[in-house]
Amino acid sequence: MTKLIFQTTVAAAALVLTAIAPSSAQTADPAGIVRKMHRAFFYQGDSFRARIKMTLTGASGSERLRELTMLRINMPPGGDQRYFMYFHAPGDVRRMAFLVYKYPARESDRWLFIPALNLVQRIAAKDSQSSFVGSDFTYEDVSGRDVEADEHKLSREEEHGGKPCYVIESVPRGAASYKRKVSWIDKATSLPLKEEYYDVQDQLFKEFSAGEIKEIDGVPTILKRTMKNLKTGHQTVVEFSEAKYRLALKPEEFSERALRNPPGSWIK
Amino acid sequence: MNRLRNFSLVELSVDHPRWVVFITAFITLGFLTQFPKARTDTNPKNMLPPTSEVRVSNDAVERTFDLYEDMIVVGIANESGILNQGTLGKIKTITAEILKIPGVAARDVAGFTTIDNITVEKGTLQVSPLMADVPESPRELDRLRKQLFENHMFVGRIISQDGKTAAIYVPLEKGANGKEIADKIRGLVGQQDGLENYYVAGDPVARDTFGAEMFKLMAIFAPMAGLVMFMVRYLMFGDLFLSVALMMDAMIAIIWSMGLLIGLGLPIHVMSSMAPVFLMAIATDSIHIFNEFYFRYKEERDKKAAILKTMQAVGRPVRYTALATAAGFSVLLFMNIIPVKVFGGLVAFGTVILRILSFTFVPAMFTFVTAESVEKASQGEEIKTSHTSLFLGRLAGLGAHRPWIVVLTGLVFFAVAVAGTTRITVNNNMVEWFKKSSEVRTADRVMNKALGGTSLGYLVVGSKEGEAEFIKTPQALRHIEGLQRRLESLPDVGKTTSVVDYVKRINRVLHKDDRAYDRIPESKEMVGQYLFLFSMSAKPSDLDNVVDPSFQKANVWVQLKTWDAKAMRGVIETAKAYQRENPLALEITPAGIAYFNMVWNDEVLWDMIKGFLLALVVIFVILAVNFRSPRWAVVGYVPLLFTVILIYGAVGFMGKDFDMPISVLSCLSLGMAVDFSIHFINRFRQRIEEGRAAPGPESIEEALVWTAARPGKGILRNAVLFAAAFSVMLFAPLTPYVTVGAFIVSMMLLSAILCFVYIPALIVLLRKWLFAAEENQK
Repeated sequence: MTKLIFQTTVAAAALVLTAIAPSSAQTADPAGIVRKMHRAFFYQGDSFRARIKMTLTGASGSERLRELTMLRINMPPGGDQRYFMYFHAPGDVRRMAFLVYKYPARESDRWLFIPALNLVQRIAAKDSQSSFVGSDFTYEDVSGRDVEADEHKLSREEEHGGKPCYVIESVPRGAASYKRKVSWIDKATSLPLKEEYYDVQDQLFKEFSAGEIKEIDGVPTILKRTMKNLKTGHQTVVEFSEAKYRLALKPEEFSERALRNPPGSWIK
Repeated sequence: MNRLRNFSLVELSVDHPRWVVFITAFITLGFLTQFPKARTDTNPKNMLPPTSEVRVSNDAVERTFDLYEDMIVVGIANESGILNQGTLGKIKTITAEILKIPGVAARDVAGFTTIDNITVEKGTLQVSPLMADVPESPRELDRLRKQLFENHMFVGRIISQDGKTAAIYVPLEKGANGKEIADKIRGLVGQQDGLENYYVAGDPVARDTFGAEMFKLMAIFAPMAGLVMFMVRYLMFGDLFLSVALMMDAMIAIIWSMGLLIGLGLPIHVMSSMAPVFLMAIATDSIHIFNEFYFRYKEERDKKAAILKTMQAVGRPVRYTALATAAGFSVLLFMNIIPVKVFGGLVAFGTVILRILSFTFVPAMFTFVTAESVEKASQGEEIKTSHTSLFLGRLAGLGAHRPWIVVLTGLVFFAVAVAGTTRITVNNNMVEWFKKSSEVRTADRVMNKALGGTSLGYLVVGSKEGEAEFIKTPQALRHIEGLQRRLESLPDVGKTTSVVDYVKRINRVLHKDDRAYDRIPESKEMVGQYLFLFSMSAKPSDLDNVVDPSFQKANVWVQLKTWDAKAMRGVIETAKAYQRENPLALEITPAGIAYFNMVWNDEVLWDMIKGFLLALVVIFVILAVNFRSPRWAVVGYVPLLFTVILIYGAVGFMGKDFDMPISVLSCLSLGMAVDFSIHFINRFRQRIEEGRAAPGPESIEEALVWTAARPGKGILRNAVLFAAAFSVMLFAPLTPYVTVGAFIVSMMLLSAILCFVYIPALIVLLRKWLFAAEENQK
């Protein structure tokens, strides 16, 4: 327990520090770079809303669509977050809604509303490395993996797509879906531009790439991202639209009641 | 014209033997340089071209449902049950190690520690690996047992009904070598101690093990066949140098043909791996040259004159037998099965090379023999003293003097054999190409007994109108469920799996694990949401393997307990009947390796019939042209047909599966067995012709006895040598080689004997008819 408190305190302190420090600060601490990346990628703004279109492409070229509205609110000071996802498409899952309470260093709580049964079902999050709604993204890819779960190493600094980047190699301390991960983190925005995932056989099997990056409400945001599985030939493209930061969302709006009756003002 | 060219060739070779040998050796070296590039192909898929309908549709199904072409199944058996800490610990370790093997599609390995299990506990739904950690307490162990046996997606798949066998399904990446991976897995399980037994089964294991064995067999049996023939030949002629010459003749033809095959970039297949033995056997045809040479030398006392006279006497039959053999093999070029085509072309090419060598290299080698050794060797070649000649003369005498008895006896045998041929069943079962006690076959047997089956077929159930989302409708699901239950009533079907099993499982889990909800829900909406819920946490492949992305089609996995083609045929027929009785706008299409085997199997049958008819026509034409008379062709044809029918009758009575190697042989056997008739009839008619000019003409019976005694000795030597070469294959560890060996040995000996008895009998019976035509021609 004390360890957990210590960890969250450290994480929170790091978050505060990185938020204060100028972004151009030269730091050689790889875990620090990753923490900063998390801040820029998963925690930007206090709250966030976007309409998300996911295109899942199979090896045969067949496409599946998922359309959802995502709401997020940060719960300071511990780094907790709440996510609310409401599905618009495909047709038979309309009105399905998904609620996640995320805690940085322990398993999240998840609930799913199944309209056909009028049932709110709690779902175990034992395997955060499993696929997110059948896509090539895992839950971790969507909401972030505990920084402390991996050992980070700065392998080199190089340009990626004309932008100077840190190249960080992360090796999981425990069991994970990958053996190691190499990330190219933009020095200017701290956003990940590319990530390579290597499997148990140390073969590259998954590749993340950031597409269009735009400033929304003053926050650099990746509006298009692709996860490609090189072994299966699958890929998932995620596109954000109607993105907005710092909304007047309230933590109470992320509740079981909201699952059944989604807040109409946020979800159109 | 033809004759002229051959003769100048022979003369040229006799005049410049060193040059002939040098050039031959040079070309041989050229072909030899291609050998290191050799590679094998044992994938049954490549039996048919990539453009064939079944391959195109199978590839499409694999892509639509993200299926793997190849799957290895690892069995772990413990007589006292596998649900104990020790065995489960081993399963965990072994699975973890298997995941690390290159070529293994780690993401989709299905076993205790990796398979998705849908459960609900304390109101929380969970999709996670069945056994993340080995149970540490009896309570945890009980929980695992309950989860296993209450989920029918697990029973018969990853655990046997009796709880004594567990399985790990290991899909392979495209192009991975099944044998290499199987060997690594065997190495892994070999390190484990304890009471467990381990089995490694599956199509890629059988296939790639077969490929590896094939190379070994080629390397061992071809030289051994060569050695056996060499020894037999030495015993026949007692002359080392000539035995060596004949062997070189065969080796050169083998190197040229195999070199050409490899040089063209073609892989060596089970059929072409047998080509060297075939060529070695076909090379024995030049025994007729040697045979005649010794007789001629005794008469001429001059080596060069003897060579030229020999070639004059046997040139025509030797050319025609080569033509017949080459034609028999060329017929295979018209087949649909690619390796059979390649094999046909390969041996036809080799046969032509052998014949060219007979007119160049062989006569050239004769010139190097010392007169003394020829003298010594030809001592025994005297019709009146040779035991063999006397015996053969008597055999021909039997036919010539008692033709009716001989013919009637033949008819009886013929009738019995025809009855036998009706019992033939066409079947290709790769696992049964291994011996019963082999590791591959044992593993397959054990796994099929304990679990759902190692042979996998698919039935794709799709909306007829291509209506998206149709599979999510309860009536479509109920249709599929009914189909599954119907299929499971077949004895060869071990287990079926489909999207229905997932939907039912989720329905139950969402209703507090209540058994009553282990059924298809009422509305399409529910099904859609269930599946979406499932896809929120399961491996993507779980659903992808059983439904297409637009839910137009579902894929039903059908595990079969045998690799026999008839099992899949039964599945398809049952599915069709089911569809007729339960009309719904759905159509069912078969796919998968089991389906491929079935299609390929039918193709073999068709090819065999086509090839056999084609060979019958071609051989008859060749005989007719050679004898310049269709009537004589009929006489030469009878022993040949008789031999083939007798052998197939025997195959039918023995209940041996009629597989690809045997069916290929059916065409070839005609081309090879006809040699004896060609030699016999040609030489007999030559004798009659020569006899007419002589003062005291021989009777037909006497001429027949002479033919059997002198050229007949060559025929017998040819048959024995041929049989000797193939008898080596009887000791092979793979059954197709044994079958081919037994087939050829019996065919050669039988057709030689029948030739000696039936040709004389027929000639005597039909003499008026035969010779009348000859008179008319003149």
